[in-house]
Amino acid sequence: MAGETQEPTGPGRVHIPWQQLPISRETLVGIGTVIPVLVLYFLIALLPIAFAIYASLHEVGTMNPEWTWIGIENYYRVMELSDFWSSLWRGIIYMVGSTLFQLAVGLWMALVLNRITRGQKLLTAVVFTAYLIPTIIVSLVALRMLDPAGGVLQALGGNVLGLWDVKAAPLGARDWAMKLLILIGSWKFAVFITIFTLAQLRAIPSRFYEAAKVVGANRYQMFRDITLPRIMGVILVAVLLRSIFMFNKFDIIWQLTQGGPGDATTTLPILAYRTVYNQFAYGLANALAVVMFLFLAVGAVLYFLAFNPSEEVETTT
Amino acid sequence: MSSESKKRGIFGLSYDGEDRVFGALKAVSTAIIVVIGVFPIYWMTQVSFTDYQTVIDTVTVVPTPGIFTLDNYVILLDPAIVRYLFNTTVVAIGTIITVVVVSLVAGYGLSRLSFPQKENFARVLLMGYLFSPIVIGVPLYQIWRSIGLLKTRIGLILALSAISMPFAVWLMWKYIQTIPEAMEESAWVDGASRWRSFRDIVVPQCRPAIIAAALFAFAIAWNDFTFAEILLPTEETTTFAPGILRTINQRQFLPDAQIMAVSLAMTLPPLLFAYFMQSYLLKGFQIRAL
Repeated sequence: MAGETQEPTGPGRVHIPWQQLPISRETLVGIGTVIPVLVLYFLIALLPIAFAIYASLHEVGTMNPEWTWIGIENYYRVMELSDFWSSLWRGIIYMVGSTLFQLAVGLWMALVLNRITRGQKLLTAVVFTAYLIPTIIVSLVALRMLDPAGGVLQALGGNVLGLWDVKAAPLGARDWAMKLLILIGSWKFAVFITIFTLAQLRAIPSRFYEAAKVVGANRYQMFRDITLPRIMGVILVAVLLRSIFMFNKFDIIWQLTQGGPGDATTTLPILAYRTVYNQFAYGLANALAVVMFLFLAVGAVLYFLAFNPSEEVETTT
Repeated sequence: MSSESKKRGIFGLSYDGEDRVFGALKAVSTAIIVVIGVFPIYWMTQVSFTDYQTVIDTVTVVPTPGIFTLDNYVILLDPAIVRYLFNTTVVAIGTIITVVVVSLVAGYGLSRLSFPQKENFARVLLMGYLFSPIVIGVPLYQIWRSIGLLKTRIGLILALSAISMPFAVWLMWKYIQTIPEAMEESAWVDGASRWRSFRDIVVPQCRPAIIAAALFAFAIAWNDFTFAEILLPTEETTTFAPGILRTINQRQFLPDAQIMAVSLAMTLPPLLFAYFMQSYLLKGFQIRAL
């Protein structure tokens, strides 16, 4: 390895007695290269989570610097919050509905994009754009198209299909708000599954399919025996990540409905945000954040069971 | 094949019949994807070129000469909107630079230098996917406030860089492994230092990976709403996503057609990147940089 090569020491350099130090220079430099990443992780993950746990044990107002120790009182309050259980349930509906829909659509798009021969670049660009467009733009366009004043989808669903009231915005209707949130979000996030799967599909050598054709396999058999085993792993990971992301989705829900109408689309992230800025109960909000983090941690354990990182690093191409 | 093909395809079709069915399904699927994918972007574009009163009165499909106007684009000269767009651009560039520099150095160290606990580092790295902005944002608000990073663009850049890290570092790690070490060794023989060989040999060859990492950092920064909403509560430093939402709620008069005009302006950069740089995007995912 690199350690065998002689490091040149110029005349003006300070002499460091590497041979006498307990660790080699390479180890030291190596650790040095990852320190910026670790510092970022410490600042943005470890510190906030530790802080959240600490703050959750106090009674803290959002604007109030006074901290009063109350132990695990906030967690009792979270459990007793009637909003908590209903928000958790709505969050699960949102997560499962979104993930399943995105998986079906995303997989279908990947399979089509992989087989298409003409206009592939353009179509891929269209699909990728959906993922790269900021969520706020998706929300603003959706709000415009569902606006009772001249919104095209509002008119289509109201006048032509008779799905909802022509005069009112469907995002404000209790029975449509959640369904529309899932559909609008999936326009963007299904592409996540597509990108992951498409990259794997493109990596399957075409000689596999040619060989299968020679021995007389039909398309379903080829899909089952060649395609599916190759993309199974990546689908599993993508679905896990999507579930975690959708469970913690805040932006698109806040932009489209702010948790309304009533509490029809209030999920845990919305509840936590409201607790900070509407009820000014900062300690309680941190308890909610900690509870959400525990859900994430369960997701993380599943993630590592499904996907062993050390295995991936070993495979040098 | 046609004459001798037995009926062994799906649903008892012959292989040729199967090909025809699949051809048709493929065409229909493509059409659906194009319509659903393009329609919102088209609608945003056409509304932005239509007279704002017409937009809220009726549903028009094409901006015909009578209702065509460029007036909606005056919103791009609105001082508040200009400030939001400027802040978003600063944050995006800052995030890209931080992510590329940090991930290149870390990727080099991970693939070329031997040090303990690399596997655990990989695990910690993947934990980054669990940094949900809302979970992190609530406590980070107080932390940033006490160390003076609240309301600063740097505070947001740090937060966004951290959530871009898992992908970027993993990508660099795997990509640098594909560059033969012999090239660096020959430079060392000629007396180059490790820093020299990193700068002059490894970095230039990492161009595709650098572009992919930069694109993903851009996507995260351009897209961010939650962190900016919590960490940039003031008008002066806030970015486009929370800014436009506050403007819509506060102003008496902000026509939807103008909102669509500025939305189109925000969509153009990602649209151009998606078209001209899609091979880099796919390359990034192919390395399976999870």
